[in-house]
Amino acid sequence: MSAFATLASVYNTPVAMHGDVDFTDSNTTTDSRALNQFLASVELKAFKIAQSALRHEHDALDAVQDAMLQLTRAYADRPAEEWRPLFYRILENRIRDMQRRRSVRARVMAWLPAHRDEEDDEPFDPITQAPSEEVTPPRRLELAEAMTALESALHELPRRQRQAFLLRNLEGMDVAQVAAAMGCSEGSVKTHHFRALKALRARLGEFAP
Amino acid sequence: MTPDDEELERFEKRARALLEESVARIDARTRSRLNQARHAALDAAARRRRTPRWRSFGLAPAAGVVAALALAIVLWAPRHGQMLPGAEGPSSAVEDLDLVADGETFDLIQQDDGGFYEWAVAQADAGSEATS
Repeated sequence: MSAFATLASVYNTPVAMHGDVDFTDSNTTTDSRALNQFLASVELKAFKIAQSALRHEHDALDAVQDAMLQLTRAYADRPAEEWRPLFYRILENRIRDMQRRRSVRARVMAWLPAHRDEEDDEPFDPITQAPSEEVTPPRRLELAEAMTALESALHELPRRQRQAFLLRNLEGMDVAQVAAAMGCSEGSVKTHHFRALKALRARLGEFAP
Repeated sequence: MTPDDEELERFEKRARALLEESVARIDARTRSRLNQARHAALDAAARRRRTPRWRSFGLAPAAGVVAALALAIVLWAPRHGQMLPGAEGPSSAVEDLDLVADGETFDLIQQDDGGFYEWAVAQADAGSEATS
């Protein structure tokens, strides 16, 4: 199903949501529900895309949250079919900001005495961190290895290639939508996507999924 | 389609399936956080919509109006003969400021060695004798 079809179906599906605000204006309620549906449809994939670029769970969550906030704050009034490319463009900007900040921080920290890495402040909780679907252990291991190899290969790709590949294959956007999200021509999207595919295939070799 | 293209297409399909599976296996904690982030964003947008645009600037418009009125009174009143109590005229405040800011005058007083004060006392004494 295309992204536009998904968004069109949003308007025909009344959904009661936790955390919804009690609006008196019915148009506002409809907009809020549509926004909620849209964000729910992209949040997991957006998190994966952010995680693939940042390779850090907390940073990826922050990037997705910031993108959600900015979309709802600045672009909620725009037509619903524009949300997806807008959201992914905002997300990509946030990812780039974080990568820049991280590189500056790394340069600064290199000059400072040994410091504690604050990556995992929270204690490990086996229940909440369990995967959502039950998979047999051998299959899980196989998937984990393949996913690790793919994520590593994706991380090695140039930024635009990775973005084109993930938006096409993970988000399922067509070339025109990816071009809108990346702010480039459709021809550029095709080139980035093809190069990404070739590079991943060459890099993964026997580890290919 | 060349064999190479077919191989690439198969690879892409497998990669897509793997990515989709990895999304399906995102843990409950992360899903919960994303859910919270979504509702926080929607609540923020709802609050923003419910707040009238003029109120989003707080009391800035009211403060601006008060400041403009105060300035208008200060500029307008002296020209129409309605002096504020203690005011000597429109230019007196400016002249006072000039006196205070004039460092040369202050230096002259400092260099006077008290002669000026002696002269002022003598003048005052002479005045009181003349009146009595």
